[in-house]
Amino acid sequence: MKKLIAVALLFAACSREPVHIGSKNFTESVILGELLAQKLERAGCTVDRKLDMGGTFVCDKAIRSGAIDAYVEYSGTAAEAILKKPHADVAAAYAKDHLHWGPPLGFNNTFAMIIRRDPSLAKISDLRRVQETFQPGFGYEFVERRDGWNGLLRAYDLQFAKAPKTMDLGLTYKALASGQVDLIAGNSTDGLIQSLGLVVLDDDRHYFPRYDAAVVRANGIDVKCRGASAILDSLQNTIDDAAMRKMNFEVDGKKRSVGEVVREWIDAHR
Amino acid sequence: MNAAEILRVTGEHVVIVLISVVAAIVIGIPLGIWCTRNGAASHVVLRAVDVVQTVPSLALFGLLIPIPLIGGIGARTAIVALVLYSLLPIVRNTFTGIRGVDPAVREAGVALGLTPRQLLFDVELPLAMPTIMSGVRIAVVAGIGIATIAAAIGGGGLGTFIFRGVAMVDTNLILAGAIPAALLAFFADLVLTYVERRLIR
Repeated sequence: MKKLIAVALLFAACSREPVHIGSKNFTESVILGELLAQKLERAGCTVDRKLDMGGTFVCDKAIRSGAIDAYVEYSGTAAEAILKKPHADVAAAYAKDHLHWGPPLGFNNTFAMIIRRDPSLAKISDLRRVQETFQPGFGYEFVERRDGWNGLLRAYDLQFAKAPKTMDLGLTYKALASGQVDLIAGNSTDGLIQSLGLVVLDDDRHYFPRYDAAVVRANGIDVKCRGASAILDSLQNTIDDAAMRKMNFEVDGKKRSVGEVVREWIDAHR
Repeated sequence: MNAAEILRVTGEHVVIVLISVVAAIVIGIPLGIWCTRNGAASHVVLRAVDVVQTVPSLALFGLLIPIPLIGGIGARTAIVALVLYSLLPIVRNTFTGIRGVDPAVREAGVALGLTPRQLLFDVELPLAMPTIMSGVRIAVVAGIGIATIAAAIGGGGLGTFIFRGVAMVDTNLILAGAIPAALLAFFADLVLTYVERRLIR
């Protein structure tokens, strides 16, 4: 009997090559990866999850090499960090590489410069007053990216006395909340901003571009599961900023499982 | 990235590993000795150093950040984590080495009227030294590899290149961190194996 099941499983696995869904290594990206996966599974696709893979460049390399078939990317990141052209036509650039840039999911997750609550600081340009004393702390990607820390210093004419402490992205909130650093770069939809009582500085010089989330997918995804691209397109404008922040908070703030939070969202939006 | 930068970062790496292993020796050898004298302690201590190995470094960092004196962002926290990870081979090998001393030799020492202190320093420790040294060697070689995680908490070292390289998918950067770490581990192993052989005589 066991052998029979094993053979049956083997057949099932061979007959349908799974759709590989990837994500970056932060909560929101994992949630969105899980969302794509569950949507496709409900439509009968076999899905292999490759969530929490790494940063932007890891995901980009994975989709270009065929290791994953779809993941959620942000328009600003695609233009600045991947294509390295700030005003690029993202969809056209992806099309040249046999990838498809899907319609926007409905929220804009821009970078957020985050501090502990301080009544004298509201805007990024206010940082000039504390540039002698503030200790910034960032993940490696924000320090290296051209639309990251160095670009921000130029755009705002800032000169921080202390070089940023670089650490794992996941530790930055803890470092800020415990007073080890004074300024971090997070995402404006991060649930932790709310739950830790932190403040997002206003980008008064509009340095950060829009980061509209959208699904990047391989053109061949429908071969693996018929109708997959239509299902992914149907997510257009279904998640607004508040909805995304809420899902992030459910996972980061309330420590609920990603699968459960996503299932709840799908059930509520049928 | 240039030769000078690689050298500087390699220096940071060596300092992190040296401080951690020396601290682990200072803490670990007495702990190992205590374990041979006290059955209850040995159960607790040996289990504890085992369990520490299973805690992922990022989780450990997350716990350490808010703690004053030993926590924070920087090399210090990384060193604390590395000391904890290095304890296992040192405590375990000290314990095993002393336990492995032939009871007849120990009895002979007692018959000669050695105090427990003399027995430890003149009989047990010298006989256990090769085993203890091999624990230290394992701690150093493994520590050189594990110390790359210091970069995850702003502690510097060769992991800086590896973390930057991974974030940017830059293979050269990753190798600039990985190759010097591998070489360090290789040479540390050679030197410490030599010391170990000399101790066996």
